[in-house]
Amino acid sequence: MIEERELELFYGPQHLGMVGNFSITLKVEGDTIVEAIANPGYLHRGFEKLMEYRNWIQNFPLVCRINVIEPDSIEMIYAMGVEKLAGIEVPERANYIRSIYLELARVGSHLFGAWAYANMLGFDTAAQWAMYHRDLILDLFEELTGGRVYHIYINPGGVRRDFPKGFKDKIVKTLHAIGGCIPDYDATFFNNALFYKRANGIGKINLETAKKLGAVGQVLRATGMEYDIRKVEPYAAYDKVDFNVPTREDGDAYSRIWIVRDEMIESVHMIFKLLDMMPEGDVWNRTPNPLKWRIPEGEAYVRVESSRGELGLYLVSNGEDKPYRVHFRTPSYTHGLPILEKLLKGANISDVGNIMISLYVIAPEIDR
Amino acid sequence: MATFVPIKRKRGSKMSANKLQEEIGSLFKNITLKIAKNNRIFILAQKEQILDILSFLKNKGFDHLELISCVDWIKKNQFEIVYILTSYLLEDEKSRIHLILKTRVSRENPEIMSALPIFENAEFYEREIYELFGVNFDGNNRLIPLFLDREYKIPPFRKDFDTREYVKNLYDSILPVEDKNK
Repeated sequence: MIEERELELFYGPQHLGMVGNFSITLKVEGDTIVEAIANPGYLHRGFEKLMEYRNWIQNFPLVCRINVIEPDSIEMIYAMGVEKLAGIEVPERANYIRSIYLELARVGSHLFGAWAYANMLGFDTAAQWAMYHRDLILDLFEELTGGRVYHIYINPGGVRRDFPKGFKDKIVKTLHAIGGCIPDYDATFFNNALFYKRANGIGKINLETAKKLGAVGQVLRATGMEYDIRKVEPYAAYDKVDFNVPTREDGDAYSRIWIVRDEMIESVHMIFKLLDMMPEGDVWNRTPNPLKWRIPEGEAYVRVESSRGELGLYLVSNGEDKPYRVHFRTPSYTHGLPILEKLLKGANISDVGNIMISLYVIAPEIDR
Repeated sequence: MATFVPIKRKRGSKMSANKLQEEIGSLFKNITLKIAKNNRIFILAQKEQILDILSFLKNKGFDHLELISCVDWIKKNQFEIVYILTSYLLEDEKSRIHLILKTRVSRENPEIMSALPIFENAEFYEREIYELFGVNFDGNNRLIPLFLDREYKIPPFRKDFDTREYVKNLYDSILPVEDKNK
């Protein structure tokens, strides 16, 4: 009889089942994981420290690099923090534009998430469609902001520029084109029996454990809690529009990916409603000369609902032209470190990628 | 098309924040309490009281530890450890209250009790602060490196660590690759 022994395996950072530069040290016995140690740091660029050397406006190109897939919520939260410290109001139209822009980003990010998950499980057709549809949304961003991935569109006091002529129709047309493919997505991926078999019961977490470990976003909503910052603490124009927060009860990978799908549809409905309600007017309230802009002493904690869950920012000013301390509370931090370690314990070695991608973790958000 | 009925923004009433303030004020001595706009409650406490206050607040419904942060106030020669708590409850007004609990520790011997017995997710935040600021958390047995690869004389997020000088010293000492075609 072969003696069972513990083996140490290094999973990542260069691994097919891994999205992003992140690694896990696994201790395995046979096929079962005994212990998992998350090992981030491959993308630690020290943004929070670098921001202390740059003035308030110069930091925008830095912050959006924290989440590569969806940089827009990070821009939004940093702008909100600066507005709160400096006491700047935002025009009504800019609030609507911000909401539409953030929801577009959410759809784009969720399509990327669907790509990652479908690709990992081998559903290449649906994955390629998702990537193509994400590209259509990037085209919209390119027309609006000039950038495809990093947009730097939200400024303190509003947004950088108004919608170009005919842009509303383009949004509607693009979203209709994507929405028309939902039955195809369902048939090939979401309602596919193979997908159910691969994802059902994988990485299961219950509500109590999720709350204890600081879960937010899809991970928490998949356990049955309707927790969404857009509802709890509305920002931008989210208090003026009606929308549902999709939840599920099972808390496994299957529920999490279904929530991603339902949220995309909910976001598209919300964009249509917001486009109809958008008022006319200015999009930017003038802010002082950025080179001489000193923000009064104080501290602020703001939060938004990014595509991955609750995102927070603790911002401290000591009255200078630069921030004194910046600290981001990112959703991937709790999902990728304590929750991932917990869920991997006792799991099968072939499910590591499955669990990690279904938690919707993105490595640069952990490292910052 | 259906007409839109704007959702009325529920504001956490001032009452619950005031009541909480009174309760904390009567239970714990030597603390400073301040209620700011939008139901932000700031509490400045002694470092020995932190665990008691955290467990009191958790029992009061503030069960979501959002963040543990650290600010280096170099002029006062102190580190400020900041705990940000909110609530997972939805219908309750508490979910709109942000509790910002702060304490100061000296820069010479920065040490504080770990919040691990109360909040399980404190572990990684404390590891990060230990690595980047050098604050020791008593009771956290896993204060191993999280992000950094190199050894630093001063923990790199402290204010007296000059990033620009460090980069210059590190990378200017590496000689450029010679161009052989010249």
